[in-house]
Amino acid sequence: MNAASSSVPPTPAPGSRRWPARALLARGGLAAFTLLLLYPFIGFFLPAGAWQWNGLVPHSTAAAVEVSLGLTGLAMLLVAAAGTPVAAYLARCRRRERLLWEAPILIAALLPPLALGILFSLAFGPNARLGHWLLRWGLPLSNSAPAFVLTQFYVSIGYYVIAARAALAAVPRELEITAALLGQSPARVFRRVTFPLARLGLAAALSLAWVRALGELGAVLVTAYYPAGMPVQIWINLQDAGMSAVLPLLVIFLLTALPLPWLLQLLAERRHEDSAPA
Amino acid sequence: MLELRIEKHRRHFQLRAELRLPEGGSLAVTGASGAGKSTLLACIAGALPPDRGVIRWRGLALHPPPLPLARRPLGWLAQHERLFPHLNVAGNVCFGLDRRARPAASAWIEELRARLELEPIWHAPAAEVSGGEARRVALARALARRPPLLLLDEPFADQDAARVQAIIAALLDWKRRWGWTLLAADHRLPALAQMTDQVLLLQAGRITAAGGWAQIAPDLAAIQPPGFPR
Repeated sequence: MNAASSSVPPTPAPGSRRWPARALLARGGLAAFTLLLLYPFIGFFLPAGAWQWNGLVPHSTAAAVEVSLGLTGLAMLLVAAAGTPVAAYLARCRRRERLLWEAPILIAALLPPLALGILFSLAFGPNARLGHWLLRWGLPLSNSAPAFVLTQFYVSIGYYVIAARAALAAVPRELEITAALLGQSPARVFRRVTFPLARLGLAAALSLAWVRALGELGAVLVTAYYPAGMPVQIWINLQDAGMSAVLPLLVIFLLTALPLPWLLQLLAERRHEDSAPA
Repeated sequence: MLELRIEKHRRHFQLRAELRLPEGGSLAVTGASGAGKSTLLACIAGALPPDRGVIRWRGLALHPPPLPLARRPLGWLAQHERLFPHLNVAGNVCFGLDRRARPAASAWIEELRARLELEPIWHAPAAEVSGGEARRVALARALARRPPLLLLDEPFADQDAARVQAIIAALLDWKRRWGWTLLAADHRLPALAQMTDQVLLLQAGRITAAGGWAQIAPDLAAIQPPGFPR
């Protein structure tokens, strides 16, 4: 019996030394793919003149960072608050009904940003009845913080809903039924079962929406040139002072904005592992 | 009294069932695989709405209209365990208890834990327990709220003979103590016969025999060799 069991070779882990050629090929492919993704960053090291850290740049840069992070954060709160219930409904409704509701969401997500900006400025501008009323109520939706937030909401909500729906639909319906039969209301089922199990996917959805909103230029350029967020400020710097004024802002943009989705993902993963109560 | 008269279309058969079970009674539901046992229990639980018919428990209409799942006074052990994978065993067993109710129920939970042999895995992640252990965790979870009506679908699955006897003894004790009404579906006739007074035989979605164990023994014996491993 011992001899029989010892004659069975252990299954090597993928990428282990048992299959060096396959592992090398996989890692070589991944390295090539990564290099392809990172290649544009070589631009930081190419001659573009002395970087302009002085003068107007620091002040406007600080303001742009503040606008982008603060107002995009606010927009993401709205996106999560409005998009999560919609995604939860779409995750559980019949396929035909889901396709019907998803059509306008997809249209909003796939509309070219510049076109969205133009339509937005017409629909919410002072010449439209809604825009006129909002202006009278002290809520201008053109070149203002509310315009900035609402534009970001429009450009990112579709991406959030589509990704969040997929995350919520992946939670087995049977677990929700079991939880409900244990006396839990729909809200408690969502809080105690659906949300914890979909948390990683929801974090990914919010990260996607954040990146989409934060980097948005086309729509924001039309609806909220002021207050300028980072993409608009990069555009202004490029127009006014050239490449040497853009690069410092690009570095700050990358350092401040992009790590947030990554941190969000890490946090969701850690909570997922720690969620079992003692 | 549990009263039902329902129809439910499934892919391979149509379930047509009618039964009355007095409060505190116990009924075994048996039949070959695919006969409709799990469908019958799932319809009573509310996980599968019947196409037609009525289900009443103590005069309360479970269907129609479908009573919200959270308000159904029953415990359901489903055919598959459906443990919450993000919680540990303790979290699963106590899931249906309000935090305020937990101190009062602690002696009961302790008894469940001991008699269903859950101590060694009590703090283990639910995703890591074995099939037999998961079955006992799901059973404990269904019993934790002490619901008056119990629907147990294959309560002995993946259990060895000694554990089957331990589960039967525990269920009978608790049934006497709490006055539970019990419906249990399984293939293991001897085990079911120890635990229930009445039996109902389902074949292709139809009730072909019902009554006391002795009363329908010929019906069970006739189909036992191919359909019912003892």
